[in-house]
Amino acid sequence: MVATSPWVRPRTLAQGLILALAAGLITLLALGLSARAPKAIVGNPAPEFELELFDGGVVRLSALRGNVVVINFWASWCGPCRDEAPILVDAWHAYRDRGVVFIGIDYVDTEPEAHAFMQEFAVDYPNGPDKGQRIARQYQITGVPETFFIDRQGRVAAHYPLPLTRHLLISNIELLLTA
Amino acid sequence: MADLGYIAIVLAMASALYAAAACLWGQRRGEPQLVASGRNAVFAAGGLLTLAVLLLVYSFLVHDFQIRYVAENSSRHMPTLYLITSLWGGHAGSLLFWTWILSMFATAVTYLYRDRHPALLPYTSAVLSIAQSFFLILLVFLANPFEKLPFIPGDGLGLNPLLQNLGMAIHPPNLYLGYVGVSVPWAFAMAALLSGKLDAGWIRATRRWTLLAWLFLSLGVTLGGQWAYVELGWGGYWGWDPVENSSFLPWLTGTAFLHSVIVTERRGMLKVWNMLLIILTYNLAIFGAFVTRSGIIDSVHSFTESSIGPAFLAYIALSLIGSLLLLFRRWDQLRGDHQLEAILSKEAAFLLNNLLFLGATFAIFWGNIFPILSEAVRGVKVTVGAPFFNQVSAPIFLAILITMGLGMLIAWRRQTISSLVRSLRGPVSAGIVAAIVLWLMGVRLPPALLGLSTCVFVGAVTVREFYQGTLARHRLTGEPYSVALRKLIARNQPRYGGYIVHLGVILAAAGIIGSQAYQQEAQAVLGPGQAMQIGGYRLVFQGFSELRNENLQLIRANLDVYNDQGRYLGRAEPAKELHFVRPDQPMTEADIFRAIGEPRTLFLEDLYLILVAASPEGTATLRAFINPLVNWIWMGALILIAGTAVAAWPEASEARVRVPRGAPQPAGSPTRF
Repeated sequence: MVATSPWVRPRTLAQGLILALAAGLITLLALGLSARAPKAIVGNPAPEFELELFDGGVVRLSALRGNVVVINFWASWCGPCRDEAPILVDAWHAYRDRGVVFIGIDYVDTEPEAHAFMQEFAVDYPNGPDKGQRIARQYQITGVPETFFIDRQGRVAAHYPLPLTRHLLISNIELLLTA
Repeated sequence: MADLGYIAIVLAMASALYAAAACLWGQRRGEPQLVASGRNAVFAAGGLLTLAVLLLVYSFLVHDFQIRYVAENSSRHMPTLYLITSLWGGHAGSLLFWTWILSMFATAVTYLYRDRHPALLPYTSAVLSIAQSFFLILLVFLANPFEKLPFIPGDGLGLNPLLQNLGMAIHPPNLYLGYVGVSVPWAFAMAALLSGKLDAGWIRATRRWTLLAWLFLSLGVTLGGQWAYVELGWGGYWGWDPVENSSFLPWLTGTAFLHSVIVTERRGMLKVWNMLLIILTYNLAIFGAFVTRSGIIDSVHSFTESSIGPAFLAYIALSLIGSLLLLFRRWDQLRGDHQLEAILSKEAAFLLNNLLFLGATFAIFWGNIFPILSEAVRGVKVTVGAPFFNQVSAPIFLAILITMGLGMLIAWRRQTISSLVRSLRGPVSAGIVAAIVLWLMGVRLPPALLGLSTCVFVGAVTVREFYQGTLARHRLTGEPYSVALRKLIARNQPRYGGYIVHLGVILAAAGIIGSQAYQQEAQAVLGPGQAMQIGGYRLVFQGFSELRNENLQLIRANLDVYNDQGRYLGRAEPAKELHFVRPDQPMTEADIFRAIGEPRTLFLEDLYLILVAASPEGTATLRAFINPLVNWIWMGALILIAGTAVAAWPEASEARVRVPRGAPQPAGSPTRF
């Protein structure tokens, strides 16, 4: 801006630097966004899994296509899960005949305690242990309880990393049933 | 209702796009009628957005849960005030609110300056309309606040309980006013570049707007800190969270800008620099919104939805690169009128201050985006914590404080060393005396000692400015001191208003240093009748009391507070609050204990108490902090507000002469606004 050097004009140099900085920054932010993008669970097809149930059967998520699926991650040692269990069981009884399937996934637990928990709350929807926490990782859960709502097309419609209230549970199911 | 709201947004988008096009082309081609119609479109967009905001507020008030946004952010049991503030409680609504504020700024600027700045204003309106169009496009296509649910829920999910308090009712609008407010000086700067009218006219036109935006940014930063301190209950006020930082960044560059324009007005220098600063400030404000909404950096403030990240980034790219290219086109015309004459001059001090502010901005920005950088380069997200920010920024802010003191002393153009030394003598002695007194009082940590005595030094410089000015006036005119002081300030409001702001900043700086360096913490599990001790206070736990209403359950720990002489000071009641709608988020209600009979709790330190847990067996887990001088930060903020008001207040000397519209303006009439 002051004197003109024979090689590169300071003006050009300053402008080039500023532009390069701006462009670099925007590229970086774009990279950050794209690294983030595939992580989104909600709105994308639900990650496929096969769950061995406590009662011996096997459930495969893709086989449930056409139903509204409620996937609940829980554990017998988790306090809020105890508050949530009766709500889930009630809703299951209310909606089991209307094309809604509940799946309980027991996260990091011991089988006797899990059985005791299920007996205490009369949990009678399909339930099984998440061996090696594979499913938990696929769904990127951060703790228990967490609940995912899968629509009839097999997409994750909603995700709640918190204990559900009756109202929350029912309104989400109704939403997907009417969709 | 929902349809009407959506139609209003769509029409507002059309108006804003038309306004931008009409103002640009009309001005380019010299068609005043086209410009006038563009101006009307600006008003139309403002009106339509106002309608949309009112409709959404109304939907909250009548519990129209068919609107998804209403269902997800309110419930039947919420008090009316929070029903209204739910407007900005979530993603889509806050975006609408932001856009509405922007439209109000655009409308105000376009209306107030309709007869002034004929060369600049059409471009200013156009640039503001372009910015507004972007947000409206987001609202129309990606984040419609009037989206309908296919069924009508019986009740809504309720507003996040963290947002249900008075501070949160004020904090976001206030911060938005700051963020959005910087659009005005930026738009004027772009208008200057577009029109080629590159004199200081745009700076003068926007001085008050800049001050206003800066004031709101300052308030946003401090109120946010105060809210965190009072509501979040972790004993601190600033966590270097990415979103907090994002609100701090435009404040830093904005502060630099406020200082550098002084140099331009006085000496016609630093013109390119000003442009760079305002471009940076505007884009950092947008960056703040981007960080909060894209989920690119994990933060307690983030909204969960993140689908608009790419759109936001595209806009940042457009506005940043676009502004820069405009600047490059006029680069040579922005040559300074003068060269820097001496290193020891006010100009140089301003430049140094600017570089330091920019350094702080860069350091904090770097820490903020480091997780993205590390993930891009090494595939691992490394988050930079508070220690990094504290270590990097503390020396820079100390240097800024010192420059602030020196800058007020040094004269324009050049200053001789001997006269500088002479004027430094008093303030430096004050600093040294303060250091000795502090040392004797037990302040021994070198950084705290250095920082606090620097505050005293800068404070002494500032007070001396007022003292000498008043004294000179008194001698010259014989006015009593109080009158002389008042007239001194009235004669040069921007300058003395700025000095008052400096006093506020010094007070806040002392508060930050004190609370950072000398915080004490203790934790204890107490049964009824048991006591804990912290910093000269004895806290005796007297059991719980419980409060319950339809919204929430409140468990209070009753603590009797005694001082070290065993005198009873009063009752403290830290609490836990459970909102039934969001049982997953129990709230901590900290108690900041104050007693009239114990002055140190009023002026020197906060006894800050938190109920960490209440066991069914009746024991309380308590955490207690002594936070020295925190109050000074809030007092500093109040002084800063007062100073900004003085600086921005219409000056007595430019009392407006009413000129009939259309009449030619007398030469030399004040055009300053």
